[in-house]
Amino acid sequence: MTRTRRTVGLALAALGMTAALAGCSTTASTGSGDADLTFMVFETPALGPEFWDQSIENALTDLPDVTVNKIVSPGGDRTAYAKQLQASDQFPDVLASITPRDFLEAGLLEPFDQDWLDENFILPEANDIDGGTYIPPTNSQVLPLVFYNKALFAEHGVEVPETWAEFVAAIEKFRAADVTPLELAGSEPWAASMPLVGLSSADVLGQDPEWIQKRYAGEVSFSDPLYVGALEKARDLVEMEAYDPAALSVDYATANRNFLDGKSAMYPMGSWFTGSSYITPEQAENIGAFPWPTDDGSIVVPFNVGGTTAVSSQSEHVDEATSFAKAWSLDPANLTVLIETDGAYPMFKDRSIEDFDVSVSGLYLDTYAYVTDENSKVSSFGWVNNNDSLAPGMNDALYALSQALFSDGDVAAQAAQLDKEWDAAVGK
Amino acid sequence: MSTITQPEKAVRAHPVDDPNRSAARRSRARAGIARRSAHLIAAWVVTLIFVIPIYLAVSGAFKTQEQILTEPLALPSPFTLDNIVGALQRPDHLIQSGLLNSILVTVATLVLIIPLASATSFWISEQRPVIRGVLLAAFALGLMVPPQVVLQPIVSLLQSIGLANSYPGLILSNVGGGYLSFAVFLYVGFLRTVPREVVEAARVDGAGELRIWWTIVMPLVRPATATVGIFLGLWVWNDFLNPLIILGPLQGQTITTGIYQSVGTISTDYAQLFGVMFLAAIIPVVGYLVTQREFIHGLMSGASKG
Amino acid sequence: MSTRQRSRWGLAPIAGIAIILYAAFLLWPLVSSFVTSFTNSSPLKATSSFVGADNYVELFQDPRLYRTLGFTLVVVVFVTVVSNALGLLFALLLNSPSRNYRVMRTLVFIPQVLSGVIVAFIWRSVLNQNGLLNSTLQSMGLTDEAVSWLGTPELATFSICVVVSWMTIAFSTVVYTASLQSVPSELYEAARVDGAGALSRFRNVTFPMIAPGVTISVTLCLITTLKLYDIIAVLTGGGPANSTQSLAFFLVEVAFTENRFGYSSAIAMFLLLLTAVVAYSSTGLLRRREAHL
Repeated sequence: MTRTRRTVGLALAALGMTAALAGCSTTASTGSGDADLTFMVFETPALGPEFWDQSIENALTDLPDVTVNKIVSPGGDRTAYAKQLQASDQFPDVLASITPRDFLEAGLLEPFDQDWLDENFILPEANDIDGGTYIPPTNSQVLPLVFYNKALFAEHGVEVPETWAEFVAAIEKFRAADVTPLELAGSEPWAASMPLVGLSSADVLGQDPEWIQKRYAGEVSFSDPLYVGALEKARDLVEMEAYDPAALSVDYATANRNFLDGKSAMYPMGSWFTGSSYITPEQAENIGAFPWPTDDGSIVVPFNVGGTTAVSSQSEHVDEATSFAKAWSLDPANLTVLIETDGAYPMFKDRSIEDFDVSVSGLYLDTYAYVTDENSKVSSFGWVNNNDSLAPGMNDALYALSQALFSDGDVAAQAAQLDKEWDAAVGK
Repeated sequence: MSTITQPEKAVRAHPVDDPNRSAARRSRARAGIARRSAHLIAAWVVTLIFVIPIYLAVSGAFKTQEQILTEPLALPSPFTLDNIVGALQRPDHLIQSGLLNSILVTVATLVLIIPLASATSFWISEQRPVIRGVLLAAFALGLMVPPQVVLQPIVSLLQSIGLANSYPGLILSNVGGGYLSFAVFLYVGFLRTVPREVVEAARVDGAGELRIWWTIVMPLVRPATATVGIFLGLWVWNDFLNPLIILGPLQGQTITTGIYQSVGTISTDYAQLFGVMFLAAIIPVVGYLVTQREFIHGLMSGASKG
Repeated sequence: MSTRQRSRWGLAPIAGIAIILYAAFLLWPLVSSFVTSFTNSSPLKATSSFVGADNYVELFQDPRLYRTLGFTLVVVVFVTVVSNALGLLFALLLNSPSRNYRVMRTLVFIPQVLSGVIVAFIWRSVLNQNGLLNSTLQSMGLTDEAVSWLGTPELATFSICVVVSWMTIAFSTVVYTASLQSVPSELYEAARVDGAGALSRFRNVTFPMIAPGVTISVTLCLITTLKLYDIIAVLTGGGPANSTQSLAFFLVEVAFTENRFGYSSAIAMFLLLLTAVVAYSSTGLLRRREAHL
């Protein structure tokens, strides 16, 4: 009898222990007076674990009562991961480089105060969505740029293309010479969309910078000739075999290596590719970059004012989270790393690139000129964090479409599908 | 269970020749030897082709990246432990903490589910046919429901009782979900083979139900317990979606979700990748090799009763 | 009377705990999911309201449903057929008590004990552009260009079928091996004496005896493939262009990436119904066949 009791007792004790364990973990998180924040980050070749740990430490130097737990997004798509965390009741207090619009309907994000933005940034309203800024406009990017291999261009007698026709001619020349014309990290949906982002930005927004606003108003559609034209060009690139036949099996790291190893001539990618974690100074000597070519050769720069930290309005410590986000965003050491390794173009009022103690490649400085020069800048389609950001979920639709173009040439049906998804996304 | 060992004896008897047969049979036997060795070679070839991916991963764990790329099928040369050491020295302690968390979840689940399921099954077996039928029908549902179907409601439930993103939450949802159905069905099936007289005799002696369950039934159903332990242990250990969503990133990862979350960035560094995989897979594989007999018997007993 | 009573209540508290846990973590979620499927509940929205059958109407008009259903059925059929056919072949090939064959059986079963995540990572290293399969094919001169094993909808689907089958073959092999070992050797002897050829021996002796094994193996393959998730998540992430999303993957995407709980619940109900129909009809069909034999 005693043995029986003991064993039943054991089982019940185990159950009880589970309950007790639960009790502990809930009291522990609410019991302390200091702010214990969670910060969702993502890792890229430039921004590894060391960067995030160091940057968090930097930001916390003046915030003694705050501690930060890092959560790492498993893939490049941190917005998707943030939603997964939200659906499972663990929305982080601070989030790095998400797409804010997806979270606004439920009021999940806390806007930054305008005075602080005006005081610190060159373009304080660059990330404004309906009167609120949810990501500090700390730095900017051009994406995509088309990077090219100078040696391969010289070897095959190809000039840097300025018009779409010249670009196509260059592709055909490389294809004929058995060099992959365009590198593409097609297995990662965001990277597969780079050519389509270029076309949507340069052709569609280049012609009509208000196109996205008009799409929200229902005045234009993806099925209009303007956007269908961009889609057709994207499909043409597949048909003229601009990419490796196995491009959709290529991951990001492999694509970067392929291009730098000279296996492909050109590579549409964001300006972060100029950063030292993607390209060494020696490699950068051999690489040039040009903006996505337009029909008439006019320069259109797909421009995105980036930034990192968004703050959850659901946080138990919104004030501390905001202080942390501000400190992180203004920390010069963090920006220095972002400039050097991730090719970020700084957007601070009182500090230009010379004020940062950075060593950057000639490639970085050449491409930075597209930001500082007077030229025609448009929103980088699907990447900006302001009123020109797309309806929730549309980025994923464009990513999927970019991969679908490899096997499905029915451009009109795909445009119609985009319209349908857009209407569903804003109508919901 | 005792019926399981019998067929093997029968098979063992199979190749033994009957001495009473004539000489014609002896020449047939010689042809048989040739055929048998051809069969053996064919079997080995097919088996080796089938396990090539395992070989690639295991040998890759002890090769340099360069050798993996240039000679994927060769033996490690030079033999290196760098990948293993590197995997163990990762700053995020992926392997150590992942294994520890997986052990915690697996052991806690088993410690709870085995007594619960066996006692419940015994209790169910003693009920009137109507009640038994209703309960077994309800438990049968759990064998079939895909875990994704109930995942989001479970997350909401755990949120409302304050167990979201916690080990207790994950363990309880393991214990209460489809795994319980599996265990109950196995035990109920097995209990049918237990002679009723043993239980009745104990009752006549005045033993309580708890005592009967623990001192008489549990030893009798030990083979079923082994099967439940081995299979649920394996399934909980290899579980992916539940720890990914229910546990989440803040409480530390199990080995399976930990690999998924952190290995993406090194996916083309095969040497590192295989090093991590090797360490992550070694516990279930060794466990399988050690318990192979029970494993396969359990599979059959579980299967034939289901 | 007193024994009856004791037998009814002695373990009732423990059984009660088990039943409550099961009700909370399996039965209640099913009910809750059913109710949610008639709302537009989403944690990305401030409010949630009753929308009638809207989610079901949307679901049956959603091209994603038909694409994921198509993919799921392809995988289910491919994996069930291939793993049972090859599993049976393996079992016949390896059915011998000698040491060599025991070792082989041990090896063949290993994929079944690995987690889907590990299996998928291993295969990803084999199948990607610079992967070990392509480099082997190229060095043997079989292809000039890398084959995009994970990059076209057709090849990616095929690759997933192969990887999943690789895991389930192991399982089928063990089931069939055990079934074969339960065939009394006297039956073979008798058939041989009667002059039955190998094929006829298989049809008339082996197959009837392993019929229960077929039921088990087929049903488990069906249920395993219907809930397929982890291999897809690692191997293709559902791509390219969402062409390799199973119904279960689609459900998780809608629930935890689009955060539309109402809609995901409707998908969940659909998946549940599909699984129930497949499981019951397959066991029913196969059982009836068993009885016939």
